[in-house]
Amino acid sequence: MNAQAKGRVVLKGIRKTFGSFVALDDIDLEIEPEEFFALLGPSGSGKTTTLRMIAGLDTPDAGVLEVDGVDMTFAPPGERDIAMVFQNYALYPHMTVRDNIAFPLKMDRVEKSRIQPQVVQAAERVRIEHLLHRRPGQLSGGQQQRVALARAIVRQPKLFLLDEPLSNLDAQLRLETRVELKQLQRNLNVTAIYVTHDQEEAMTLADRMAVFLDGRIMQVGTPDEIFNRPQTISVAAFIGSPPMNLLPATLDGRSVTLEGHSIELRSAPPCPPGRVTVGVRPSHLRVDTGGIPARLYLTENLGESRLLNLLIGEKLIKMRLTEPGDFADGDTVPVLFDAESIHLFDAESGLRIDND
Amino acid sequence: MNRHQRAAARRTVVLMTVAAALLLVWVFPLIWAVVVSLKTEAEVLAYPPNVFFAPTGQNYNDALVGGFSIAPSLLTSAIVSTSTTVLTIVLAVPAAYAFARLRLPAKKSLGFYTLATQMVPPVGLVIPYFLILNRIGWLDTYQGMITVYLTFSLPFAIWLMVSYMEDIPVEMEEAAFLDKASRLQTLWHIIIPQVRGGIAVTVIFVFLNAWNEFLFAVQLGGNTVRPVTVAMYNFVSVEQTLWAKLAAAALIAMLPVVIIGIAGQKQIVKGLTVGAVKGGSRR
Ligand SMILES: Nc1ncnc2c1ncn2[C@@H]1O[C@H](COP(=O)(O)OP(=O)(O)OP(=O)(O)O)[C@@H](O)[C@H]1O
Ligand SMILES: [Mg+2]
Repeated sequence: MNAQAKGRVVLKGIRKTFGSFVALDDIDLEIEPEEFFALLGPSGSGKTTTLRMIAGLDTPDAGVLEVDGVDMTFAPPGERDIAMVFQNYALYPHMTVRDNIAFPLKMDRVEKSRIQPQVVQAAERVRIEHLLHRRPGQLSGGQQQRVALARAIVRQPKLFLLDEPLSNLDAQLRLETRVELKQLQRNLNVTAIYVTHDQEEAMTLADRMAVFLDGRIMQVGTPDEIFNRPQTISVAAFIGSPPMNLLPATLDGRSVTLEGHSIELRSAPPCPPGRVTVGVRPSHLRVDTGGIPARLYLTENLGESRLLNLLIGEKLIKMRLTEPGDFADGDTVPVLFDAESIHLFDAESGLRIDND
Repeated sequence: MNRHQRAAARRTVVLMTVAAALLLVWVFPLIWAVVVSLKTEAEVLAYPPNVFFAPTGQNYNDALVGGFSIAPSLLTSAIVSTSTTVLTIVLAVPAAYAFARLRLPAKKSLGFYTLATQMVPPVGLVIPYFLILNRIGWLDTYQGMITVYLTFSLPFAIWLMVSYMEDIPVEMEEAAFLDKASRLQTLWHIIIPQVRGGIAVTVIFVFLNAWNEFLFAVQLGGNTVRPVTVAMYNFVSVEQTLWAKLAAAALIAMLPVVIIGIAGQKQIVKGLTVGAVKGGSRR
């Protein structure tokens, strides 16, 4: 849009404790203007806390928050020019949809004559212009969610925060709204920070994302980077559905030994011999006569594919199978680990061992 | 009719009978007052009582505009009750908001203080209040009476309002803050409209309590501030009791109570149950 794009958010060393519980520890983030940035992590990992800090609804115990180069760490929420969509939408039940959407403009002392056109425009953007006279209690969950969106965009804020906005919708509606949300953000040219525990949502929506775990950021990157190059075992164990298989192994030069079977890598990773963890996605495993024999324990039929639960020694692994094949539970299936598609992690530190 | 229907019918009959009996106990004094207020003073004392008599409106006339007119006292009661109610609401709403939202150390003791004010026998407080008001020269003044009433109504009103305000999700306020609303604007635009029901309940209870109050009124009031509950006693003297006029005055004084009771029926029931339902969560 304009040369000096707005909505650059920087968090430096943010720490937040509740009593003796450390909810956020040393959070560093840089979110670029007009970026769609997702905060992804399991329940209780600190995503909402981070968002509330950015919104000014909570203040950190340590660290700095900058928006467009200005220190905003302790600025009250109203001075931040931020709009937020809450998980439960937080619509004002005693006001009509029209008044709900108009409220931010009224508080912003927008001229009376200019409020209504803006309200209608925001409502049209999310296609609820026919609901303006209703009250939130008379709307479906999906419609309420759109009202919350309209109320957030009507003021054209610098920053757009969304806390699991789709989690109260049914699966069908969630998929539809996801696409619309992305389009909306593109058209508005606004920075969006989006909290979710649904990795598919984060992957499809986000330009970049941060993976949270136990109050720390484990990795920041594009969805592709995070999916294809998880930097730690914990990210590897979280991303993907089902996530990667992780198996203990030993590394010596080019060869990885796994449950007594060895896999030859194309080149030797730059690290001394020792214990490692091998990671491989269920979809990257293949049935091949040259593979490691595994006993089929249980087959899950997912419709488009099947998920084979296999035992290699004592270790349970999952393999996604899209092609047909007749396997009965109890059969021995040869599983091929493709050297190209395995990930290596240091068994001690849990860090990725890069090998390219 | 099968067995279940018969049982249900029997239950209804029993229930109705018990309810009617209880109701009779409650309304009997009222019926008596209505009957007496329509008799002449002589008829009231007639023995055996006359079941049939010519009703007269004279007592109402006397009670309102006669020598012992209670009209000025009705005005006094209205002033005291209305002022108490208005002040209570103006002070209790923001106070309850603070108690509902802020992490205050005094939060627990509020509950205790409220209960304490409801449990202390009022007689025990009359003398201290009398001495205090006497010392500052506020005996028989509106400000004195209203202040004393506030000491009872405020804790009660705050306690009642807190339970309504705690029901409003915090996110709703936070959304308002992000929309650049100040605390006061949030209270005005977001909180108060949503607790209108609670405010109505509080208004009803506080007004009725103040209107019906007698003990403090009789001790701390006087010729300037003489609420209607006290003024009624003009019809009771050493020489005689003017029963018919007393009954008429009592019925007139009851009128606002009945009107408010009917108008606010729904709110009153809600107000009585809110403490019962929510009481467990608060000490
Ligand atoms: N006000 C609070 N007081 C005490 N602990 C809190 C408070 N708010 C959050 N926490 C704790 O901080 C941790 C992080 O909470 P947060 O709400 O940020 O999680 P989240 O990642 O948003 O999880 P979810 O996906 O379940 O919403 C949790 O363990 C939570 O219990
Ligand atoms: Mg959350």
